[in-house]
Amino acid sequence: MRNPLKPSPLQVAFTYAVLVIAAIVVLFPLYWVAVTSLKLPIDVFNGPFYLPFVDFKPSPHAWQYVFGVLGPDVKRAYLNTASVALASAAITLFLGAFAAYGLTRFEYRPRVGAIVAFIGCLVLGVVLSVLGTPVGVAVAVALALFFLVLQTLGRRFKRSLGNQDVAFWMISNRILPPVVVVIPIYLLFQQLGLLDTRTALIASYTAVNLPIAVWLMRDYFMGVPQDVEESAQIDGASRYRIFFSIVLPLAAPGLVATFLLVLVFAWNEYLVALFLSKANAQTMPLLVSAMSGTRGTEWWYMSVVILIMILPVVVMAIILERYIERGLIVGAVKG
Amino acid sequence: MRAPKDDSRQVPSERTGPGQSRPLQRLYGWLEHRAGLVFLLPAVVVILGFAIFPLLGSLYTSLIRIRFSGGQTELDFVGLANYRKLLLGSEQAHFLGRGGEALWVWVTLFFLALLLAWGLYRRYRQGRGGLAWSLLGGALVLAFAWLVLSRLVPGSLLGTLQTTLFYVFAGTALQYGLGLWLALLCAERLPGTRFFRVVFMLPLAITPVGIAYMFRMLTDTSKGPLQPLWAALGLEGFSWVNDPWGARFAVLIGDTWQWTPFAFIVLLAALQSIPQEQIEAAAVDGATRWQTFRYVIFPYLLPASATLVLIRMIEGFKIVDLPNILTNGGPGTATESITLHAYFAWRTLDVGTAAALGFTLLVLVSVFSTVYARALLPRARGEG
Amino acid sequence: MKFKRIFALLAGVAALTAMLLAGLVQGQGRRFDGVQINVLTFTGPQIAEPLRRRGREFEQMTGARVNVVVVPFADLYQQILTDATTGTNSFDAWIFAPQWMADFVPAGIMEDLTARIRADRDIQWSDIGEFFRNFSASYGGKIYTIPLDGDFQMVYYRTDVLQQLNLRPPQTWDDYLAIAKAAHGKDWNGDGRADYGSCIAKKRNAQSYWMFTSILGGFVQSRGTQQGAFFDTDTMRPLVRNEAFAEALRVYKETTQYGPPDELNLDVGDTRGLFTSGRCALSVDWGDIGTLAIDPQTSKVKDKVGAVILPGSRRVLDRASGRLVSCTASLCPHATGGINHAPYAAFGGWSGGINIKARPQAKDAAYALFSYMSSPAVSGKDVTIGITGFNPYRTSHFKNLKLWTDAGFSEAGARVYLGAIEASLNSPNMILDLRIPKNQQYQQVVLDKALSEFLAGQINAQQAMDQINSGWEEITNAEGRERQKQAYRASLSIER
Repeated sequence: MRNPLKPSPLQVAFTYAVLVIAAIVVLFPLYWVAVTSLKLPIDVFNGPFYLPFVDFKPSPHAWQYVFGVLGPDVKRAYLNTASVALASAAITLFLGAFAAYGLTRFEYRPRVGAIVAFIGCLVLGVVLSVLGTPVGVAVAVALALFFLVLQTLGRRFKRSLGNQDVAFWMISNRILPPVVVVIPIYLLFQQLGLLDTRTALIASYTAVNLPIAVWLMRDYFMGVPQDVEESAQIDGASRYRIFFSIVLPLAAPGLVATFLLVLVFAWNEYLVALFLSKANAQTMPLLVSAMSGTRGTEWWYMSVVILIMILPVVVMAIILERYIERGLIVGAVKG
Repeated sequence: MRAPKDDSRQVPSERTGPGQSRPLQRLYGWLEHRAGLVFLLPAVVVILGFAIFPLLGSLYTSLIRIRFSGGQTELDFVGLANYRKLLLGSEQAHFLGRGGEALWVWVTLFFLALLLAWGLYRRYRQGRGGLAWSLLGGALVLAFAWLVLSRLVPGSLLGTLQTTLFYVFAGTALQYGLGLWLALLCAERLPGTRFFRVVFMLPLAITPVGIAYMFRMLTDTSKGPLQPLWAALGLEGFSWVNDPWGARFAVLIGDTWQWTPFAFIVLLAALQSIPQEQIEAAAVDGATRWQTFRYVIFPYLLPASATLVLIRMIEGFKIVDLPNILTNGGPGTATESITLHAYFAWRTLDVGTAAALGFTLLVLVSVFSTVYARALLPRARGEG
Repeated sequence: MKFKRIFALLAGVAALTAMLLAGLVQGQGRRFDGVQINVLTFTGPQIAEPLRRRGREFEQMTGARVNVVVVPFADLYQQILTDATTGTNSFDAWIFAPQWMADFVPAGIMEDLTARIRADRDIQWSDIGEFFRNFSASYGGKIYTIPLDGDFQMVYYRTDVLQQLNLRPPQTWDDYLAIAKAAHGKDWNGDGRADYGSCIAKKRNAQSYWMFTSILGGFVQSRGTQQGAFFDTDTMRPLVRNEAFAEALRVYKETTQYGPPDELNLDVGDTRGLFTSGRCALSVDWGDIGTLAIDPQTSKVKDKVGAVILPGSRRVLDRASGRLVSCTASLCPHATGGINHAPYAAFGGWSGGINIKARPQAKDAAYALFSYMSSPAVSGKDVTIGITGFNPYRTSHFKNLKLWTDAGFSEAGARVYLGAIEASLNSPNMILDLRIPKNQQYQQVVLDKALSEFLAGQINAQQAMDQINSGWEEITNAEGRERQKQAYRASLSIER
């Protein structure tokens, strides 16, 4: 399948030139990290030195330290990062695809009255529990009132919102900077008794990354031609069957892209991990930042940790990259 | 990731055979009837459950001050004092900067006001209502323009607000442009582009803290890898960190390096949904490459682009790791973003100020993104 | 509240019983069989390394299990407070900076160790430097921490550079500037590139404000530790808008002229690297450069490093008039040769403290662990090892020169290094780091930001002083002037 817009050789050369320059810009910093991981402190500070064996004598001291002294920490953090990131990315993708499909194929009309009632009762519940009412009672009172208001006043106030507003509400949850919300989140998980567990991390990453997944996949689902779905519906296929066997395969490139993105977001998250984990659930980003202590930054150790942290993601990108391809989609549509 | 082909088998068939019981049938019926709810509700519940408590918690935090005394933690309720300090009190210059006076600022504002008035007049002529809202909006735009322009006069000082705006707008534009360009080049399906695709995703794989440290190494002018280049340019005694704009651009470059792949991946995936036939048809009609891009490809990319820009703007407002590690907000306060400002306050237990900053940011970004979502998104999606 | 008191009483009784029982069973089993303690500190090699190593020894001896938890340094303070004040209490003990006691003690999360230390012979309390005993480890007359490290700043110089320039080590800050000026721009490590006269960590939100206070000290405090260097102890007015502060600002800014071009973006990690790779003639730092300079992995300047007590001044602040006046016997009782030195115990040295909510057994075990780590024999070894991050703080550390020559010092080098530390340690005019509630806001936010803006040229000296003054007053007024004043006096051990 060749591009019919056959580019002239000059254009091809230009394309390659741009790609190569961009690749150098991307790869050189990583090369520098790799070289730094082989340097003794004195080689770092007397630098710049570029080539091992030519400019300076490489030393495995940093690798030995990270795998030796820090070995148990690194291994635990590695397993934590991998399991947390994979689990939360999978859940995020699943829930996100569901919601995104809903938002592109159905019409939602949440009533303003209901939302106002909900917020009002929520505030009431919080005020009650602050004033000393037991939490259970406060929740019960708030809930009861909510349904009461919903059934009476809520019905009269008919103005409603649309899909846009639902989507916008979702994404607006990402606006507050993490430093501001991290202590409430800490208290939340403390109350649930989930501090220092992977469950807490998976739950928070899923919730935090879900809006992004929804937004991205909404666009990909919109790009999927609806006539195929309609004909399937006429054939009597259920909504869920259409979703799983027609829509998802058609949106595969978008799914893969979204998966990669939410995976790296969870893989790299720092502040929430810092607060929710003590020893058992510590993740790799904490280790990276830990390489800067009272003695200043230990560049050589930090470089090693950065390198071993990228590796699995690179492998994942290599494996999944092929799915961001046109071929799959075209085949599916025609088949 | 599920393999697409397997999924059809996992879904229970809803076409119930004669042997199946009625309750099950009714369940399927209900599921089918309320499919919209079933699709959306799980995500809403998860987000809501996780968002509400932190939101209320931090709103409360912005109204208090923490004190330790007598063996316990006291939470003193101080009302809006934290906000007052930020907008009018001792933190004002830090947050909003210090303006300078210059003629060109007022001239620019004057022309902007004229432009707005003309727009208002046109709306009025067309008989569209909402005059009060339009006036309010116009006043806000003018105030905001003053807040930015007067900080660019020599001798004035940018606050963390203006610095953040610079990161957000310059960063988003750069990342989108570069990401789009690279995605288009990689979509050309020349031999070897698969290698480049993987390479261009790499920066995303590094934790932001790590990237920030990496750029500290790279931007070091005395022992970093670019030192010979500096020396050759005769800049050996010069350091970008002593210059406010030099330092800001260093942060911007790091941010662009880190986030261009985000735009790249999203747009690359979006490019795949364009029907190949249309491009071929355009080529047959003798369209140039630019014309093909402008009239065939770009319209397909618009929805994803609009989403992408919104997400990047929202995330960009929260930039913290790069300035924190690269310069710690220095020289002076030149590279400090709003989130970093909040982080510094928070780290020294001034949680009230940190939360107040967070909520000011929330209001600001909400206004920005509401305008964006109302005015631009529908048009980009071809809905308005 | 009643419940709390009863609980405390019960805990006390339980602790006593446990101690008695422990004493009884010591003969048979090991003392802390089956007790696990969680100790929080920051990810190092420093601090965490000796803690793990000595922790294992301690486990063997007593049967306790020492579980070391580490978080990045920048987040340690927040982590301790969040964990303890929300009642999570996952940690039994912490190793932290004693400056933070000003928040931890009023928050009621720290165990009073006075009685334990009185009853403990092995720790040899009186061997610990007087300053650390009376100020660093104590707050309001009670002992809350066990010092594991001695921290104060000194000036390091290159002996070969001074020799070639035919100059003597700096006695005053003017000397310092003169040496820096003379040495700047010449090649001092033989790589053909011009090197720097003075390297000081001036990065914002790093160590800059400690460096500045080291310069300020000699100008502002002359009558001993209890005079205080930050606030007037009677009125709690900041000692900021005066000639001493202006002079210190001038010196601080002038050192930048003789430093690396990106000095405003260097933290101590960078300046130490530059100094030990031979690129700087002078530096201000804690004790770490001494041990780093003998490490072949990091150093090109082995046996070429000298250290002196922080330079001082012949003119000091007259607090009544706010002017700098020449030293007299009554104004500078501790001056040597007419020069007033005020060494600065910046940061204060890593210390061990115990969570008041820990189980009694865990408290005992944690105390025993810290006592073991601090004991002369054990700490005497650890302070000579660069990787521990521990600097000497006991009299016995200075007496035994062999410890240092074994570690790789030349004898002359060890004498100079230890001499400088001892001179600082024994100075009755040591400056105690600010230890009042919200000290992080006073220093890290207000002082540090103003310094950074001043160095970057955003504001001038007068504006910087005004900004610091009003910033400090704002915090003081918000916290309550009287309360802050009492806290400041308590930190200086001034009786009411």
